[in-house]
Amino acid sequence: MTLARIRKWNGPTGILLALCALILLFSFINPRFASVENLQNVLFQISVPLIIVVGTTLVIQMGSIDLSVEGVMGAAGMAWILMSANTRTETDFGMWAWVIALGLGLGVGLIAGLIYSKLKVPSFVVSLGTWYVGLGIAVLLYGNSMLPTLTNDSLARWPTQLTLGLPHSFWLAGLVFIAGLIVSNHTHFGRGLMAIGNNEAIAIANGMPVDRYKIMAFSLAGLLAGLAGILATIQLGSGSPDIGSGQLFVVIPAAVIGGTSLSGGEGGVLRSALGVCLLIILNNGLVLSGVDPDYQSGVFGMILLIAVITVAWPHIDRLKVAK
Amino acid sequence: MSVAQTITEEQKGTQFGMINHFGRIASWHTIAPPVVFFAMLIIVSIFNPNYLGPLGISIATASAAPILLIALGQSMVLNVGSIDLSNAAISLFGAILLALSVPDFGWVSIIVVLALLTFLGAINGAILAYTQIPSFALTLGTLGILKTATLVISGSETIYVTNNRELITLLYLTKLGGISLTFWLGISVALILWAVLRLTMTGQDMTGIGKNEKGAILTGVPVKRVKIMAFALSGFAGGLAGFCIVAQAGSASASGLGSNLLLPGIAAALVGGTSISGGVTNPINVIFGALTVAFVPIAIQAIGFGAQAQSLVYGFFIILVVALSTIGSKTRIVK
Amino acid sequence: MTYQSTQFPVLKLTGITRSFGPVKALNNVSLSIQKGEVLGLIGENGAGKSTLLKILAGIEQPDSGTIEMNGAMTRFISPYDALRAGVGVVHQEQSLFTNLTVAENIAQQMVEKHGRARFGVQDWTHINQQAARVLQKIGVDLDPKAIVGDLSFVDRQMVEIARAVCVDPKQGGTPLIILDEPTAVLEQAETEVLEREIRKLREFSSVIFVSHRLDEVLRICDRVVVLRNGVLTSDRSTKGASKDDLFQAMVEDAPVKTTRVRRPKKSGEQPILSVKNMGKTGRFKNVSFDAYAGKITAIIGTNGSGRGALVRSLFGAEAFDSGTLEISGQSVTSWSISRAIRAGLAYVPAERKTEGMIGGYNGIRNIALSRSDQFKMGPLLNLRKMKQAAQHWFDRLGVSPNDIHKPLAAFSGGNQQKVVLAKWLNLPDLRILILDHPLRGLDVGVSHTVNAEIRRACDTGLSVIMIPDTIEEALELADEILVLRDGQLSARHDLSIGTGLSIQEIMAEMV
Repeated sequence: MTLARIRKWNGPTGILLALCALILLFSFINPRFASVENLQNVLFQISVPLIIVVGTTLVIQMGSIDLSVEGVMGAAGMAWILMSANTRTETDFGMWAWVIALGLGLGVGLIAGLIYSKLKVPSFVVSLGTWYVGLGIAVLLYGNSMLPTLTNDSLARWPTQLTLGLPHSFWLAGLVFIAGLIVSNHTHFGRGLMAIGNNEAIAIANGMPVDRYKIMAFSLAGLLAGLAGILATIQLGSGSPDIGSGQLFVVIPAAVIGGTSLSGGEGGVLRSALGVCLLIILNNGLVLSGVDPDYQSGVFGMILLIAVITVAWPHIDRLKVAK
Repeated sequence: MSVAQTITEEQKGTQFGMINHFGRIASWHTIAPPVVFFAMLIIVSIFNPNYLGPLGISIATASAAPILLIALGQSMVLNVGSIDLSNAAISLFGAILLALSVPDFGWVSIIVVLALLTFLGAINGAILAYTQIPSFALTLGTLGILKTATLVISGSETIYVTNNRELITLLYLTKLGGISLTFWLGISVALILWAVLRLTMTGQDMTGIGKNEKGAILTGVPVKRVKIMAFALSGFAGGLAGFCIVAQAGSASASGLGSNLLLPGIAAALVGGTSISGGVTNPINVIFGALTVAFVPIAIQAIGFGAQAQSLVYGFFIILVVALSTIGSKTRIVK
Repeated sequence: MTYQSTQFPVLKLTGITRSFGPVKALNNVSLSIQKGEVLGLIGENGAGKSTLLKILAGIEQPDSGTIEMNGAMTRFISPYDALRAGVGVVHQEQSLFTNLTVAENIAQQMVEKHGRARFGVQDWTHINQQAARVLQKIGVDLDPKAIVGDLSFVDRQMVEIARAVCVDPKQGGTPLIILDEPTAVLEQAETEVLEREIRKLREFSSVIFVSHRLDEVLRICDRVVVLRNGVLTSDRSTKGASKDDLFQAMVEDAPVKTTRVRRPKKSGEQPILSVKNMGKTGRFKNVSFDAYAGKITAIIGTNGSGRGALVRSLFGAEAFDSGTLEISGQSVTSWSISRAIRAGLAYVPAERKTEGMIGGYNGIRNIALSRSDQFKMGPLLNLRKMKQAAQHWFDRLGVSPNDIHKPLAAFSGGNQQKVVLAKWLNLPDLRILILDHPLRGLDVGVSHTVNAEIRRACDTGLSVIMIPDTIEEALELADEILVLRDGQLSARHDLSIGTGLSIQEIMAEMV
């Protein structure tokens, strides 16, 4: 039963403890950290990566990886803003802008999933390709004309507005998170992803529709990346192909630190979400503590290394293959 | 016996049933990268032959040089089955170090910086070998650390090479057959690495580890040492790439030339036929991979698309080339 | 479950025959199992047991013969057919998802039973209840919500059984549960749990129990059938049966003539390798033996006896916790693979494809991978010498096709094994050759060649330590036989003394 105990420690409880410790530490260093205003700001910052990480987690649980988030964010974000009320185009498709942009994200993910499962191209390569493709679509849409800025002021303010003390963008992210939790833990699909990550051969032998699940996972990841792109665009107030820049290197370490191992079959949406919270709070706290933002990536990097080494240490073995 | 085991045995059987075509597929795999590149050249020449003139070639190869070196380092790491997400960061770090130290210390600093970068690569390899953590997470971590290091030592400013400029820029300005020496450096490194892989025990070990690490371990291959060497080579190649960057720009900055080489480097390695799972690496083909990646923006302009179509074409190429080369092994379990 | 089908046997096989090429794996096998009966299925490796099980599980089809389940003639074209007919198999290798719960793993069988998966919501309550019901039915006290990865081996076996029991044959027939070597990796206390379990299974199903452990078979089963070379040689009740009766049916009675000339030990000769009280927690303990130059030592035991871990520890591929290892009288410290190879050891693993060879490399590279100095020319490789060496071995061992440039994955298993052997035999300072199931999966012709090479190597002064696939192999080749049972040495036989040791005796010591 020690295994179960270790897992509990490594699991959500461990991260929650780390989170609490961090919050206490930063509040001590700079009381402004614990101010309502700042906490709302933190929740605001968590929103976009939280939405992304739900989709990424589904893919990682299978043992695959999705590198395309930044590109898909760009493509969907640009598509959305050009079809909504903005300073460049006359058109405003309203709700349809959402549908089409999300459809774009879903479509890119769908294609990635198809190429991955049917053509047996490694997910690293496929998603690298779709990253470029997404970015390409975003850049093409941006073209050479003027910056498309949101003209709809109330929409632009929506993410930061509060309901019940929480920013709207966080409500959105929270909804996505809960949906992700439900899908991951309470559907055959979600559990199937865990099974595939644990032992794909057995999953196939059991008659699980593995290819179908793979395609679904990538499609969902694309859809969510698209949603994140739209949200980020609203938050920014204008369209940019680089809207997703830097997200990949926040989301993936967050998932890994949270306990969703890159080899699959472990962790989950909750853990990844806690990982995101940890990293964003860490960053926010560091900035408020007066640490130069240049140090952010360095600190993230160190923590990632420490977390991963700690987990791997007890399993070191002569014949183990470490890739 | 188990059902799962039986099914995978059958799958393997089908795979080996295709072994009769093995010879054919292996050679397609070998010639795909140059074929892709020349196909692109042909298409460009149809649309606008001017782009293939000496100037066009000069520009293309100059931008290809750092990509090629980073891709070569990456392909050595990919060859042993790992990945190095930090090599572009090592290269940029090196560029800034060079820009900072060459004015004062000349030749010596070049050697010291290269040695340091090789050492950084070796540290990556050592952590991998001794803690056995996945290289993706490992190099993601070291990437972050290096990013900070780069920002800190450059003070987020552009560092200009004030003194001893010729020492560095000579490499870029000197041209052989219209092509800058930086690219010839890349070609030389590619040839040397090709020889290392085919003609030395260490190279044989590296490819063996990539093809079957467990088998290699049990045959007494010094896996730890070899992996450290692969990562060290990646660091060294990154250092050379950093040199090329400073040579071209005469300066170095955390956000300037060469600050975005990770993806093109990986793309170039993949388009150059390097297998992501290891054991299949041909440095000569990586030359064509890098040329393809560097030439895409030019090709796009030549054909008449805006420069914006660049990314799209990159993505398309990457998937296409790898999909074509994995056609033979349709029945394995791929992650 | 209705009463009607108790008049029919649960399973009736008539004249089942299956050949693979010229080899008849099963030859006219007929048997029947009644409701509530536990039938033992025994036989040596290669006797046809696994083929029979594959046919019953729907993985293979018989060439001729009929299968009747609960009175109805059936054909199993796929594993699903077998499941639908009510055959549940617990395989030798565990096929559970270690990161999912007990209930989920049990539910896997049911999802596939319907032949289609639903996108639907996972009804946890339903799944947990179902699992609890099944677990109760088989009398096992496990929490359906427990994660399989946290369970002990025997508990996982229970989950596998629960899964198998979920089969629900049509029209109230009786399910047939097949247990393939369920005790192979269990400790003594755990086996008792399993035995209790099987007795419970009797209440509502029939069981086929496959095992090497004859005392278990006699204890647990009502009847036992014996396969030998594809033929059913015995079909009898276990009442009053003795192990000897079973032995006689499993193998030829007479002691096997040892065909290798064995030289007696020279007096005062130092062992080339000496193991003293070596142990590895959970695998083996207190093992001591000596290996001599020019002699073959065979280590025999069932799966889970610790043989594999023992020989890997000798090679430095695994760490041992206690005891000492001496090479030529010198005690070794911090043993590793590279040190072992430098000391003259070599290891041919049992898993050829994943551990023994590098399939993507050709013969030249595979043989040269052993890094002998002869292949080096300064920092470079001496490609000419490498090709020469490879060609030499290909010729000598008759590797076919004789193409040193072809990737090894394209060769048959036997030829691959030849190359693996060549890699080590090529080393000039080779002194101790460790072979783990060297003839596994090889056909007769290749076996002979490999066999001959092993003997030749021995005659040149090499010491060979091997884990044979069959006892006959050991009796044919070895100078000394060590029998390992549950991690400890249970017997030692010096064959140079030349007594007619029989297989039966050895088998008794294994179980």
